[in-house]
Amino acid sequence: MFDRDTGGASIELRALTKHYPGQPAPAVDHVDLDIPAGELVVFVGPSGCGKTTTMKMINRLVEPTSGEIRIGGEDVLSLHPDELRRHIGYAIQQVGLFPHLTIGQNIGLVPNLLGWSAAKTADRVEELLSLVNLEASAFHDRYPRELSGGQQQRVGVARALAADPPVMLMDEPFGATDPITREHLQNEFVKLQKQLRKTIIFVTHDFEEAIKLGDRIAVLKERSHIAQYDTPANILANPADDYVAGFIGADATLKRLALLRVADVECGQQPGSANLPQIAADASLREALDVMLAHGTDRCGSPSGVLTYGALCEAVGTEPAPAPRLQSVGSGSTPVRTAPVPDAARGEAVGT
Amino acid sequence: MNFSEYVVSRWDTLSLAAGEHALVVGVAIGVSTAVGVGIGLLAHDLPKTRGISLAISAAILTVPSLALLTLLIPITGLGWGSTLVALTAYAFLPIIRNTVAGLRGVDASMVEAGRGMGMSRTRVLLKVRLPLAWPLILTGVRVATQMLIGIAAIAAYVDGPGLGTQIFEGLSRLGSVNALNATLAGTLGIVVIAVLFDLFFFAVRQLTIPRGLRVRS
Repeated sequence: MFDRDTGGASIELRALTKHYPGQPAPAVDHVDLDIPAGELVVFVGPSGCGKTTTMKMINRLVEPTSGEIRIGGEDVLSLHPDELRRHIGYAIQQVGLFPHLTIGQNIGLVPNLLGWSAAKTADRVEELLSLVNLEASAFHDRYPRELSGGQQQRVGVARALAADPPVMLMDEPFGATDPITREHLQNEFVKLQKQLRKTIIFVTHDFEEAIKLGDRIAVLKERSHIAQYDTPANILANPADDYVAGFIGADATLKRLALLRVADVECGQQPGSANLPQIAADASLREALDVMLAHGTDRCGSPSGVLTYGALCEAVGTEPAPAPRLQSVGSGSTPVRTAPVPDAARGEAVGT
Repeated sequence: MNFSEYVVSRWDTLSLAAGEHALVVGVAIGVSTAVGVGIGLLAHDLPKTRGISLAISAAILTVPSLALLTLLIPITGLGWGSTLVALTAYAFLPIIRNTVAGLRGVDASMVEAGRGMGMSRTRVLLKVRLPLAWPLILTGVRVATQMLIGIAAIAAYVDGPGLGTQIFEGLSRLGSVNALNATLAGTLGIVVIAVLFDLFFFAVRQLTIPRGLRVRS
């Protein structure tokens, strides 16, 4: 089922509409969207904007009132819903592991529905457990209630990946975990997706999460109208309207810095860099700025040279500010920057 | 004749009555469990059918047992027939109610996950809802059983089987030599049967509730 170019299959939505009987307005109104194969697209928007409904129409847990859905060119509405869903991975916030089945049985559910042999299913379960960093021998025969929230989420992702579906739908899969576990799971998931290149629709109301995970972000308004559909960097740099800008918040430029790595920026070789605070090459520019602020300096040392405040400005496309005036406080030799961060550095992106 | 002498001298009669008492309750519970769980499975998601079946089974339970047994005589006659029908009918409410509550009480996220993975409605019902509802269903059956053991004693009134005969005999000959012994033997016998049934259900519970539901979180 579905043509597959890469790990994933493309998804096309055409005039997709859901109008619940008895409601004055449609919950989802004529959504058009193209999702390229192998990309992770985040639907982000406030609660009740129809993002989950839009996603659930793709595996037909919600039947569309009108419109078209194509996965890998194939018309989804002509397929049997149960058969369709066996080829689309599905992970939800509450995880929904079956407590009466072992972890192994939970992960092997879809392969069983698809009629895989017991041996093939067992191999796949083992492979998936190690893919989500759970030791197969320790977890295979345990029950969901014996696992922590984070471990359950990983099993949930493994279960969604079980039959190697080209398309995955994820509804706030990390939403119910504590912030530390959540960040950990997000980082693991980014790595996993780099390797698998599935086509993923990921629903969240957390814009930070959207920036972190998405190849593209669809910012949705009420009735699932698409306010903007672009890469995280482009949305942060050029929000389409006040609505999108409001969603980004007042720190768009900082968020853009967070998307860039120290290694991505030209670092000039300068003498004396050994005395500067150091930053790792795979740290983000936001972390570099933090180091500079913390040390009251406008430069820090990276493995490839010296990273300057001006380089950060260039990286986010603002005019490199006039070199901040440095003045000595008292007789101390520590330079302190007194110049305020130029307005340009906060960017027009805020839309104010 | 004291109580133990009475039990020894009437052992054959008493043990036969106790056996029949347990049998009639067992058969009635078996039938009403099969039918009641079936009704629960069919009706749990149909508001109208669910309402009607719960209302009917509740109405049956409000009919006094003496009256129901008497009303059944023209249809099923004296003895086993009327007893079985009445007991089966009385067991429906706890069984259907717990089945419906158990099936409907299953976390919506489990059902969504199951449907989202491509399990059919029937498969979700039998492989997810039923196992998760099973502890509650079993509790319903157990409550129904305890109730029927008591009601079965009344069946002696329509010449039904069981230890009720002893109790009625004692009542009708109040003041005579063995009146108290007969009533006491019948009552204690019923208590013993109730305890044995409870042990049976404890064993069934241990054997049939999935291990994953018993582990500590």
